[in-house]
Amino acid sequence: MSKLVYNEMLKIVRKKRLWVIAAIVAVLVALFTYAQYRETEELRKRLGTTDWRTQLQQQIVDLQNRLQSPSMSEEWRKYLQIRLKQQQYYLEHNVNPSAPGAPTFMRTFIENAIDLFLPLLVMVVAADLVSSEASAGTIKLLLVRPVKRWKVLLSKYIALLLSVSFIMLTTAVLSYAISGLVFGYGGFHLPLLTGFVPQGEDLNTDNVHMIPQWKYILMELGLAAFVSTVVGTLTLMLSVLFRSTAAVMGVMLAALISGAILSNMVSSWQSAKYLFMVNLRLTDYLKGAAPPIEGMTLGFSMTVLAVWGLMSLAVAFVVFARRDVY
Amino acid sequence: MRLGVVGLVIAAAAMSAALWLGGLVLAVQDQLAPPSKPPGQTQPSVHGAKKGDGDIDIVALGDSLTRGTGDESGKGYVGYMVDELRKQTEAPIRVTNLAVRGLRSDGLLRQLGQPEIQRQIAMADLIVMTIGGNDLFRGGEALRLNEKELNAAKRQYAANLDRIFAMLRRFNTDAVILAIGLYNPFSDLGDAKRTSAVVRDWNFVAAEVAARYPNVVAVPTFDLFALHVNDYLYSDHFHPNQEGYKRIGERVASLITLTEENR
Repeated sequence: MSKLVYNEMLKIVRKKRLWVIAAIVAVLVALFTYAQYRETEELRKRLGTTDWRTQLQQQIVDLQNRLQSPSMSEEWRKYLQIRLKQQQYYLEHNVNPSAPGAPTFMRTFIENAIDLFLPLLVMVVAADLVSSEASAGTIKLLLVRPVKRWKVLLSKYIALLLSVSFIMLTTAVLSYAISGLVFGYGGFHLPLLTGFVPQGEDLNTDNVHMIPQWKYILMELGLAAFVSTVVGTLTLMLSVLFRSTAAVMGVMLAALISGAILSNMVSSWQSAKYLFMVNLRLTDYLKGAAPPIEGMTLGFSMTVLAVWGLMSLAVAFVVFARRDVY
Repeated sequence: MRLGVVGLVIAAAAMSAALWLGGLVLAVQDQLAPPSKPPGQTQPSVHGAKKGDGDIDIVALGDSLTRGTGDESGKGYVGYMVDELRKQTEAPIRVTNLAVRGLRSDGLLRQLGQPEIQRQIAMADLIVMTIGGNDLFRGGEALRLNEKELNAAKRQYAANLDRIFAMLRRFNTDAVILAIGLYNPFSDLGDAKRTSAVVRDWNFVAAEVAARYPNVVAVPTFDLFALHVNDYLYSDHFHPNQEGYKRIGERVASLITLTEENR
């Protein structure tokens, strides 16, 4: 079995996918670092101060003014109201939610990457795991060996899991190393608040507690790895079902992008919360942002994702074991 | 060589996988069974705020007028005032605009209860504010109120204003406070006589209250909008337009002498 896994990893490494992914991450992190740097400079210039309390107070007043606008959609109002209360809470407890530093950059990067960017990277590896062997015909060479078919697929799946883990590691290390050049490497011990529970337009702060930033980031990475694993599993299933890698990519991309769009407009369509793609933003629950549909929680989203993952895994194994290969 | 790379990748991936799993467990534990220990309120002391650093700190408080609603350039009178002041001084001017659209005097009182707002006020060298327009006009319908209701609203306004000035003076004992008065946006309508009388009355009350406190100046704007009011109003027929804001800004700036301010 370990030989099989090694063999699969060898294929992935040979295709140089992982290095391409690392290069993409490096370029994007550099871009975002520069953008973030410009933004903080601009903010400092506009407000004429580096005092974060003044900046946060200005953001709060800006939010209050935006909330006065009568032509605002109900869900957007709710979202802003919750953010307003949260920022007020941060201010009252003298905690800076965005102190500059590489760890803060890393945290926001993961938050923004979790629903589209990281799944995309995982897709790059997962999409052609099986389909490319089917279209190139090498699948026959793989299956004529005296190994059970489920073992072949299992070895591919384990290789995929290892790749997901490696992608997370690459993202974490690169985003820390590159942004640190500009923002400095300190800040792992900054306190952050978590445990906000949005309830309609209100924000329940009963469970709010302080945790150091390193723990927060570790939690985010764990959630991001979970999401990436589920997306990878779904992609693997499609890769088993379709012979064409392009079809796999197309379907997954459509699903992921529709998720990003749907999240902004499904608040009145209750049953949409059972779709996997609106449940990808798990880190929002740590932050305490309003969920796309009322009543969604971390436990709910993780269950939905797990069910989708397990079901697609089952489909992949059944289809792979039964399919005629010729 | 090839084998070595693959081995390394596998080892790194397997080890970090343990880390991600740990993070996931932590996240679930932390969110689903959070420790019930809410953080205590730790606030920076209001009086610890530093002043006299050579910069000119201006705090703007109040309603949509201070926010600049109706000015296409978004500057509002605060922006034009600062433009004027920049001609007088080289010192950096820092503006903190805390105005919220639609704010009434009771809303401002509530805002002044927030510690960070108090800290900002304590740091200020100059405070400009507009309040009362929404107490009086309430989006235009208030002028239909009868005499009794108007008087009750006025008394409430005076009481609130008194507490506002008292609070401002408590947080910041020496900054000049410029309280900008009301104008009558309806002075070209049929009811102008009555509406103007009401606005004059409210301005008088505000000036009376301001006079109880040192260094609080009531700045009139009534005259600025008395003639050709439509040339200075935005299309909502209520807020000033760019020209209107420029006039207010210039008037306010003309009251400020920076040499004294900048001791």
